[in-house]
Formats: sequence, structure tokens, C-alpha cells
Amino acid sequence: MTQDRPTAQRQRARRLRLDTASERAVAPEPMPPGPPGSPGAQPAAAAPLAPPPPGAPPAVAFDFIASLRGAIAHGADLPAALEGAAGALPDSARDVLERAARRLRGEYSQDEWGFDEEFVEIVYPLFELMYERWWRVTAAGVQHVPAHDRALLVANHAGVVPWDATMMSVAILRNHPLPRHPRFMVLDWGFRLPWVSAFLRRVGGVVASPYNAMRLLEQGHLVMVFPEGSKGAGKAFSDRYRLQRFGRGGYVELALRTGSPIIPVAVVGSEEIYPKLGESRLLARLTGAPYFPLTPTFPWLGLLGTVPLPSKWRIEFCEPIDLSEYGPEAADDRALVFELSEHVRETIQSAVYDNLLARGSAFL
Amino acid sequence: MGRRVLITGVAGFWGTELARCLERSPEVEYLAGLDVRPPAADLARTEFIRADIRNPLISKLLPQTRVDTVVHCDVLLVPEPGKAPEQLHDINVIGSLQLLAACERTEEVRTIVVRGSAAIYGAEPNAPEFFTEDMAGRFPFRTRFQRDIGELESYFENFSRRFSHVSVTTLRFQPTLGTAIDSPLTRYLQQPVVPTQLGFDPLLQFIHSEDAVGALEAAVMRPVRGPVNVAGPGSVSLSRLLRLAGKIPLPVPAPLFSTALGLGGRLGLGRLPPEAVPWLRNGLTIDTTRLEEEIGFRPRSTLEAVEDFVEELHGRRVLPDLRAAAIGNAAARNGSRRRSRSRA
Repeated sequence: MTQDRPTAQRQRARRLRLDTASERAVAPEPMPPGPPGSPGAQPAAAAPLAPPPPGAPPAVAFDFIASLRGAIAHGADLPAALEGAAGALPDSARDVLERAARRLRGEYSQDEWGFDEEFVEIVYPLFELMYERWWRVTAAGVQHVPAHDRALLVANHAGVVPWDATMMSVAILRNHPLPRHPRFMVLDWGFRLPWVSAFLRRVGGVVASPYNAMRLLEQGHLVMVFPEGSKGAGKAFSDRYRLQRFGRGGYVELALRTGSPIIPVAVVGSEEIYPKLGESRLLARLTGAPYFPLTPTFPWLGLLGTVPLPSKWRIEFCEPIDLSEYGPEAADDRALVFELSEHVRETIQSAVYDNLLARGSAFL
Repeated sequence: MGRRVLITGVAGFWGTELARCLERSPEVEYLAGLDVRPPAADLARTEFIRADIRNPLISKLLPQTRVDTVVHCDVLLVPEPGKAPEQLHDINVIGSLQLLAACERTEEVRTIVVRGSAAIYGAEPNAPEFFTEDMAGRFPFRTRFQRDIGELESYFENFSRRFSHVSVTTLRFQPTLGTAIDSPLTRYLQQPVVPTQLGFDPLLQFIHSEDAVGALEAAVMRPVRGPVNVAGPGSVSLSRLLRLAGKIPLPVPAPLFSTALGLGGRLGLGRLPPEAVPWLRNGLTIDTTRLEEEIGFRPRSTLEAVEDFVEELHGRRVLPDLRAAAIGNAAARNGSRRRSRSRA
């Protein structure tokens, strides 16, 4: 059972990329579409005289309230007045309101894992901003991610908070010809936290459990795993870019059992966003966290300390490793599993070093 | 030769509805219902036996009926906060033990179907999202009710090991949705303001009340060995459930949630059992492959169960649907435009 259909994927690509393309086009060019005369002819002179663009929030809100008050003054009841005022709104504002109303009525889709594609598209611009402006990510080899059917993305893990998973998702959504939403495995500690747990589920996070990964792969999803786990995310700054042990190779077993290809992914830049200089055992025990990092900014600056540093990132998707020749029974062959796991680890490690060299300076 | 079936707890919702279904089946030759009070509804050909399941007397009664199938519905799956836990324990555990002793004495018994609960898995934050039947007991039991359910299942498991000619099916039900059902859950969802835990949005799973009875019937007709999960496929998050039902969520910080529920209970709002606190924080979803493939029963999805329930509730909506009226959908907007044009 494959979740994605090529047409749906193409529509998704158009939706996500058009949004940002139109924003980029509109930002330096405040001309409303449609006035006579070519908009490029004399923008400097025309701009101050032109009516505000239809997307400007204060003006829209003012018009809305004015027409609402007018209608009520003429004796209309509240629902009718609201309906009339809403009808007069510009299309873009009305679409936003309509979507908000529809979501408030619970009319949106959600799969059995709690993933909500519409919600992802609402928060996507924020992550794209981080991708483009904050971390200036360079992605390579996105074509190695299969457009359909099950596949396992295996990446190095760093940076305390799993920003790397979101940036890999954005890299696929922005650059892949047939983009799809990867699902990612999250340490169960994340699901004990308020807001975090609700947010993670909506954007495709799943409790890191082999049963969950198995089910997702069997359903034909693209699954992202970080075999280093909290050992990778919580390592000291001095150990950066040194891959930790890859667990017990459980992810290789999963790939063998389900016949999924493994795509090793090297992420460079995630190690510098929260340079972990030390940790507090006491605070970790008090909060129940697997570790409690101390960085130059956290926890000293409070919430401000959780803002990641603007390092420069590179993400490389390596060539897929096809395991179909071994068959599902090979999953019980411990020696083979360890050997394959080590091979994947070395592939990622060398790709990490290559990208580290190619990146040069960490922040500039 | 037709089947001879005995239903315990025939006066309850489940027992009565199951008896109705089985009465219609030509395969069932004889139907008996056991309970301490007579069923409220008229049952055409069910022989009512007034007996207490906790009384050793049923070891004498059961062999006389010569039944080949026993459906154990006299289990309190929803711990009622009003009822003492000891009473619950008596009915669930002691009653089941007496019933099993009676089954031992009845030579003809080949099939036992038990109404169990998915609460046996536990609602934990680090749980796999979809429990399969072999994953019970992965987490320690946290409440009295969970321990009772676990104990009950273990008795039936031992029984099937000792008497291998009897196939014992335990159906692990997710909470049932239906306005005909009066349970703490349905009462909780019928409140105008529904307390939730701040920042948590659990994935829940339900079964349509008709399908719950249907699953029992299917298990009687096509018995399989061991536990079987019963739920509507898919899941629904609590926030979406409340939005669909048009209810106002009242977020309460998670550590204060049980206190808030207790306070609400005193003020006359619905009470919830202690199991509901982790359930409404972490959610619980189960895999229904076995039900569909081995028993061959496909229930309505969780979302359909919720939509049906909401439709039945609709008359009791608290808020006028202002939002829908204000923004309208595309059709309504076009309609209003057309209207204004015709007026002009």
C-alpha cells in the first residue's frame, strides 16, 4: 500500500513551491495585480498612489469591521451580517478564514498516525525560512530518495533538538521532483512533553519503536531514523562529526525484513547549532530528560537560549543501498546485520567528512 | 445440529443486543441468558435464567443447559467511579472464576467468547502506536481495573491450555461510542465543556456500538483461539473529536487534571475513572488485522463511529454554528451573491 500517488505529489510540489515563489515575487513589488498599464513601467511613481495590496491585514480587518458595523446598523442579525462582511473580503483573506473555520469544525484529514498534511503546509514557511536564510542549507543527491514506496533514510544525529529531521524534510519537499513527507522516529521522551508531543505527531513524528517503523514501511512510507539516538544528539561539542555506535543495528533488520532500500544521509552543520559544552545530571534527573545540555546560551538566557546558532548546513543524500538480494530471512543473521550496519555508518561518516571539507567555515 | 449458546449478563446493553442478533440466526438452536435481573427488552426465544454469576450454584445450572458456546458479557469494562473497586473485582474476577468452574462441568462446551478490554495494553507515552495481540503485558498494570482485566484474561488463558478442545476468544474492545450507551466516556463527551490536558492531543480509537455487538456475534460464529483486538480502524485525535462534536475544550495543566476531574464530578459534571487520565494524555491505539483476517469482521472506522455519534448528538450542540454561518462555505457564498444580485 503506497500512500502517495504521483499526481498528488506533483500537486504538493506545486502548492509548496508556488507559495514561496509568489511571496518572493510580491515582497519587493507591492503593486496590486490587475491595474492598467504595465506594473514594471513606473513602479516608484505608481506605488504610493495605488490602493493597498489586497493582502494587507490592517486594511482588510478595517474594511471587514466597517461593513459588519454597517450591516448591524441596518438591522441585520449577527450571522447574516458576518456572512455579508465575509463575502466582501478579498479572496486571499477569505481563503484563510475559510480554512480556519473548516479546521475549527474538525474537517481536515489526519492519518492513523496523527499526521496532518494541511498543518504541515501551514507551518512549512517557517521551516523553509530557517532552511534558506538561517542555515543556508545546500542539499545534494535528493534524486536518490525514491519517489514511491517504502524506503529508510538513515542519518547522523546531532544538535540536541532534532532540527536535522525537519531540515531533511524541507530538503526533500523543496528539491525533489515528486516530493513526499517523510515520517521520523522520535525518542519517546518527546512524547511525554506537552505541546511537543502534539506538534510532533502532526508533522509526522512517531515514537521510536521497531513496531512503528515496521508498520510505516509496510504501508509504503518514507521513514527517517537516527540510529545514534540520544548518544548522537547529546554528544559533547568536542566530539562533533564523530559518529557514535549505531545502536544494535535494528534499522538494518527492519530494512531486510521489509525489503526497503537504505539511503544514508550525511548532515553537516547541525553540530554547531547548540554547542554542548557540558551537561547537568541533576537537571536531567529532575526533568526526566535523557540528558540536560549546557551550551553557551542555554539555560543561561532562558527561552532565548533555545534559538539555534546560524551555522551553515550541507545535507547529502547518498546512493541507495539495495538489500533486496538478501531476502527477509537475512534479518536473523546477526553477523550480516552488523556488517551492513557498519557499512552504512562508514558511508555516512565519509560523506560527513567530505561535506565538512566542502563547507569550509562553520558560520560564514 | 444448531448451536446452543448461553450469554451471561443478558440484561446489560451488550447481552441484550447480542441475544437479539443471535435470535435472528438460524444456526442458533437454543439461546439462554443469565443475569440477576430480567432484560428490559423483549427477547423472543431466549430462555432467561435468573442466577448470580458469583454464586457457585451456576456449576449446577450450566451443565443442565447443555450449551456448546458461552459468551461472557457480564464483565464491567468501564469502571464506574460510583462503584466500589471491590465490587468490580467481585464481578470481573470472581464471577469469571465461577463461570469457568461451571464450564469445566459442562462437557458440551467447545467455545467461550469473553468481552475483554484494550485497557490491558496501557496508555503509555513510549508505547508502539498500534498494539498487536501479543503485546499485552509490555507495561506494568497501573490501576486496579487493569490488574483485574489482566487477571481475568490469565484465567481464561489457563483454561484454554488445560482444556485444549475448548477454543477461548478474548475480544479486547476499545471504548464504544453510541448514544444508546451510558458510560463515563459518553457522558464526558456530552458535556458542553470538556476538560482536556493542556498541550496533549492523544490519538484515540473507538468502536461503533453496533459493530461492538457485531464483533461478538462474529466471534461466536467463527471462533478463533486467543485474544483479538476490536476497534474501528484508524484513529482520531482528541482535539479533532471535540471539534467534530462542536464541544469546547477546557485545557487543564496535566498534573492538575485528575483533581479537576474530581472537582467537576462534585459539581455534577461527568466523572471519569482513573484509567482515563493517562488515556487522555497518551492515547491508545490497537491493530485490528486479526479481527479482519481471522474472524472476518470489518467494523466501521473510528472516524465513522465518531461521525455517527456526533450526528446523534447534534441536537444537543451548545454553540450555535456561528463560525459556519459567518464564513460560510463556497456554495453558501455563491448563493448569497446570487441573492443580492436578484434583489438588485
